[in-house]
Amino acid sequence: MRSSWKKWRLPVIMLGPFLILVVIFYFIPVILTAILAFTGMDSSMRWEFIELNNFRKLLADPNIGLILKNTVTYVLFTLVINVFFGFILALLTTYFIRWERTSLFFRTIWMLPRITPPVVYALLWIWFFDPSEYGLLNSIRSLFGLPPVSYLTTQPMLIIILANGLIGASFGMIIFSSAIKSIPRDLFYAADVDGAGHLSVIKDIIFPHIRWPFMFVTIWQLLSLLTSYEYILLITDGGPVNATEVLALYSYHKAFQNFEYGYGSAISLIIVIIAFFISLLLWKVFGMGKMIRPTRIE
Amino acid sequence: MDSAQATVTIPRQKSRIYILKKRLPYFIAYGVLGITTLPIIFMYLWLFLNSFFQKMKFGIIPESFTLENWSFLWEPIVYRGSELPSIWTATWNSFVFAGTMTILEVLIGVMSGYALSRIQFPGRKFILTTTMLLHAFPSISLLIAVFYILNFFGLYDSLFGVILVKTALQIPMTTWIIKGFFDDVPWDVEWAGLIDGCSRIKVWFQIVLPLIKPGIASISIFSFLSGWSEFLLLYTFIVSGDNITLASFLQKLTSDPNLVNYSLLGAISLFYMIPVLIFFIFTQKSLMQVSSGGIKNA
Amino acid sequence: MKIELKNITKSFDKKTNTIDNLNLSIEDGEFIALLGPSGCGKTTTMLMIAGIYKPDSGDILFDGQRVNEVEPKDRNVGMVFQSYALYPHMTVLDNIAFPLKQQKVKKEERIQRAKEAAATVHLEQYLHRKPGELSGGQQQRVALARAIVKNPRLLLLDEPMSNLDERLRIEMRSEISRLQKKLGITTILVTHDQQEAMTLADRIAVMKDGQIIQYDTPMALYYQPENLYVARFIGTPPMNFLHGSVNNGILHLHNRKLPLETRLLTKSYNGDVIVGIRPHDIQLGSHGDLQLEGTIQFVETIGHAKLINVLVGDTMIRFFTNPFLDLVPGMNIQFSANSSDLHIFDGKTEKRILKKKDLKAIRKSNAVNQILPHAADSKKSG
Repeated sequence: MRSSWKKWRLPVIMLGPFLILVVIFYFIPVILTAILAFTGMDSSMRWEFIELNNFRKLLADPNIGLILKNTVTYVLFTLVINVFFGFILALLTTYFIRWERTSLFFRTIWMLPRITPPVVYALLWIWFFDPSEYGLLNSIRSLFGLPPVSYLTTQPMLIIILANGLIGASFGMIIFSSAIKSIPRDLFYAADVDGAGHLSVIKDIIFPHIRWPFMFVTIWQLLSLLTSYEYILLITDGGPVNATEVLALYSYHKAFQNFEYGYGSAISLIIVIIAFFISLLLWKVFGMGKMIRPTRIE
Repeated sequence: MDSAQATVTIPRQKSRIYILKKRLPYFIAYGVLGITTLPIIFMYLWLFLNSFFQKMKFGIIPESFTLENWSFLWEPIVYRGSELPSIWTATWNSFVFAGTMTILEVLIGVMSGYALSRIQFPGRKFILTTTMLLHAFPSISLLIAVFYILNFFGLYDSLFGVILVKTALQIPMTTWIIKGFFDDVPWDVEWAGLIDGCSRIKVWFQIVLPLIKPGIASISIFSFLSGWSEFLLLYTFIVSGDNITLASFLQKLTSDPNLVNYSLLGAISLFYMIPVLIFFIFTQKSLMQVSSGGIKNA
Repeated sequence: MKIELKNITKSFDKKTNTIDNLNLSIEDGEFIALLGPSGCGKTTTMLMIAGIYKPDSGDILFDGQRVNEVEPKDRNVGMVFQSYALYPHMTVLDNIAFPLKQQKVKKEERIQRAKEAAATVHLEQYLHRKPGELSGGQQQRVALARAIVKNPRLLLLDEPMSNLDERLRIEMRSEISRLQKKLGITTILVTHDQQEAMTLADRIAVMKDGQIIQYDTPMALYYQPENLYVARFIGTPPMNFLHGSVNNGILHLHNRKLPLETRLLTKSYNGDVIVGIRPHDIQLGSHGDLQLEGTIQFVETIGHAKLINVLVGDTMIRFFTNPFLDLVPGMNIQFSANSSDLHIFDGKTEKRILKKKDLKAIRKSNAVNQILPHAADSKKSG
């Protein structure tokens, strides 16, 4: 008994707090979400099982068509910006700009949105597009004698996509930059000497080297975009009139605005299941299992 | 060798077109970067200028310097007829939130990271796999269930409760990154420590931990900033004014359509961003490395 | 193609010059080596010739034409990199054909020529492998084939053999030598290995701190080093050095006196000097006119000879002896050298103070001496 405690003591002590947190805030919530999805829990916090009613309700929800359309638009377009613009930024700052200081400057600027607290970042966007003469864009318009435009009501989705794209692009930029930087410099020299132009270098040298990071960023961002809604919540809060309401935000609104916890959980459950499959895909594609090494002290 | 084939005419280097053609891609590169980066610079510059000047001529040219916008630092803001809690209460709460979370996270992270990196025990592989999957898992979709759990433990509307949640949501990523730091420590060092008479725990604490100090420092900064910037969890789980943090404080003011005092908002935003900017300026290199280890938000 | 570098200066940090006012001229078809320790600027020089770096000032001339601003792709040079820099995702054939593809050569011709180039370096059976599936020596051949496939006017080799093991290195040396002779292509080899430079090059430019210290044939570098740096750098085992002085045309060295006046560059030279003697020029006994004695510190058995380390005063002297002699540490021995074999350098400027020697005479006397000929020299002199 004592010897087995001695053997187990170290891992138990070291992993204990970690495991407790993970169980309480990951495992139990997953199970809880799955159970809550079949209840009609509201602000009274009573357990009341209603079978599949939540899902039926979702299918019949008059907003669901618009919300799904919004979700697809938001995810796809933001993803394209994130991945392609991220790649372009990485390419420009690592391959075309050879002065490390200059490219570091640009990369730093592009990191700013990512490290800015979401509330401040959202404020900047609201401000930028403010319908009154205080808004940056409208004050510039007024210089040319143009009347102010309420961009947040006319083009809300575009603004949401841009705001999220700007942040996501820096993620792609970081990953792609380090991938491009890890290409041996000799390869670029060799291509130069061999007579390759810029297009050929990008196609024949850079692209083959960032294929995997490219896929990684795409899947990873797909996952993030599908489930995150913080910036939408802050900039438009899904409005005006559900114009920017996406599925994840809808779940949040149902639960914390309408106190329909059961219904909100049902929507969350769908997202969790989709996310689970994307995670699995990430796992399979990148063989992350290989990253687990054995230890070398028995 | 066929000498006729071997000789390629060297373009006359003085030829203007040759030089122009050579430089064109670089001009385009700088052009694209400049144009896309300018709005970002503009946004932040504008935030800064707005907080120090009474008004902006045409929205862009600052006029008459003032510190009036910063008066929130010494007198409370009157909002909808009632006084908002002092900015210092919010600052203190933000600091406590971010600080406690950082300490908890690093403490738990170095323990679990070491265990997963270096100790052999049954179930290690399972925990590693789970950690990796959780790293990608969209924890934000579990918010409703987490709400239920907090409520269950009586931790709703308590900073400590949200600290636990935030720590838990970040711990898989932190553990994974710290595990990476431990993986890089050579085994020889640890073997030498064991041979020289240390216990496993002593080796960990006295020999291995000091070796990964730089890694721990960057993780700490990263955690702190993440906690300092946190909005969604605090917005969702904190209701009382005594527990208000800077993020909610600012959001409250931003979301009110009747209060369009952007100068005040700019000043508060800047105040809120001070630690972020300081850390960013001094540690942006390591920050970029850590954030490529995985940021969940899009 | 004739290459000329005129007053080239290049700096990376604007404070120190990596390349400092460098002049170099390479004849058409010549094989030269840039030799020096790491950080002396030899790779920088080569990359400037390739067009990857641009000189801050000075001119690079190809056949008399200034090419400073010409892009690498328009210079028609082939280059082999230290890391080989093979494109990892392409097959051997694609790698070799890559330069031709850039010249928009038609596909059939491209493959044909790539195959020919592969054949010249004996790679026929590996055409469809990826570089990762090849050994170091094979990768090296791919790099070589890729460099020559477009029939460049200039071949640049940047430490091409430093990643190979000893046996392969010797094999590749002869391969490169054969190829260069066959193609008759102007070639520049960058290396820190003096043996490699001696074996391959027609002329060697010894570099130090971004400058060329001496630019000469291997034999001249060996027998007529212009200064202490070159003397130290060239030859294995390295030259022995003793401190002495010259007064009124007489060399004073360890209580010995040798008349020198007829050989001094400036008759009136007086001052401290450093005397260099090659290990091959020393023999046991007292045949030579410079006789020294010392205590054996240790003996290295090589097989065909023994390398004796003798302490003379506070200087260690090394030389070869017959391997069957029973020499053990602690023995006091006498040995000697001919004063005509001495290399004498100014103690301060480290420049040669003796007149140049006649290489033919040296060759003759070497044939008489029973010193083991150095591997590198035997090839050149033979």
